[in-house]
Amino acid sequence: MGFFHVDPAVYREYKDRVLELSQAIQINYPEHLPPEKRKPGLSDRQIAAQLGLDERVVREIRCVAEREYYPADEWERALEFKERACREFAQTGLAGVTKKYIQRAKAAKAK
Amino acid sequence: MNADDPATTDAKTGATMDSTMAANKAELVEFARKGGALVTGVADAGAFAAAMAGQRPTDLLPEAKTVIVVGGAPPRAGDWQVPNYLHMETTSTSDRMFALANRIAQFVERRFGYYAVAVPSGVDRARQPFLSLALAAELAGCGTPSLAGPVLNPEHGFLYFAALLTSLPLPVDGPLAEPVCPAPECRTMWDEQGTTPCLAVCPIDAGGCLGGRLENGRVAERRYDVARCTTRAQNSFIPGFQKALEAVFDEPDKERRRMILWGSQFTRTLWSMSYSNVSQCQCFECMRVCPAGRARRELR
Repeated sequence: MGFFHVDPAVYREYKDRVLELSQAIQINYPEHLPPEKRKPGLSDRQIAAQLGLDERVVREIRCVAEREYYPADEWERALEFKERACREFAQTGLAGVTKKYIQRAKAAKAK
Repeated sequence: MNADDPATTDAKTGATMDSTMAANKAELVEFARKGGALVTGVADAGAFAAAMAGQRPTDLLPEAKTVIVVGGAPPRAGDWQVPNYLHMETTSTSDRMFALANRIAQFVERRFGYYAVAVPSGVDRARQPFLSLALAAELAGCGTPSLAGPVLNPEHGFLYFAALLTSLPLPVDGPLAEPVCPAPECRTMWDEQGTTPCLAVCPIDAGGCLGGRLENGRVAERRYDVARCTTRAQNSFIPGFQKALEAVFDEPDKERRRMILWGSQFTRTLWSMSYSNVSQCQCFECMRVCPAGRARRELR
């Protein structure tokens, strides 16, 4: 019997739609945004109902698609990003990006 | 509330329900503080309407009345200064808050005789949280959501949060009135440059994870690339291991396969997984530049 897994053909057919509905890239997901602006992703059950699939099939498609979304190269780039960002911060000190704004706020407060 | 009403009065002590609940809460807050919590708040278990179905308090504990949230164990000021990013991804302290939530749950059951369940710090089979800790922290007044994602506390900035659900009725704190994000410096930066520190360091339209827009000094829109954030925040955790293992399987040459298998990336994924929950958060760059709570990060 083996582990439950989705037929690759079914996966290929539905993966883009599942990712879109679940919001792999979240757009206005946070709960604090006004209801008229908020677009939360759908749960696996909601996606299943919309696509006429079993919830378990949707869950498997989503889990696999989320992992497939970026190739291994992106994982390598992540290392480069963290190395660069962390070292830049160490050179510029606390909140280097906002330094001048912090200094300005401090000066205004001192007056 | 009428103190003469038997339904709202403790038969033994004569105390009103309100004063009993307040006393219980004070005892719990003190217990949490002694256990290492920097902030503690209580949310109404029925206030999670915005959460995804299956991720509400009553999905885990049907009798839940309140959600107790504790926050603390942030990286120390010195940790933020270390120029080697591997330092913080190897020394994360989030598990301390989960351990504290477990202790509080035990205390609630023993001391008050009500059900208490610590929300698991991991994810379920569908890689979803059992409860949105961010929403819980927000509803408990421990902080407010940020453009970058994490809930920020007005005094401490970035903290780790843990929560427990209980059938114990307690006075509810409710969300904070004023958002911590965007900080005043970020609002000025947005007005002058059209970006904020977190968006500038990790821009979604230039290979990063975060996008968004401020309007009238408030977060009006937000975009977040979960999959890319996973490549950074869980680079050498289970998702990274799966990617590395796939590369091993795909490599037909035995010698090259060995180079990957015994190489630094694959080896680090194994170290990371054996350290388990302390290594899940492996990217701090959006929080490193965040000015919220900066006063606590500026030492000599």
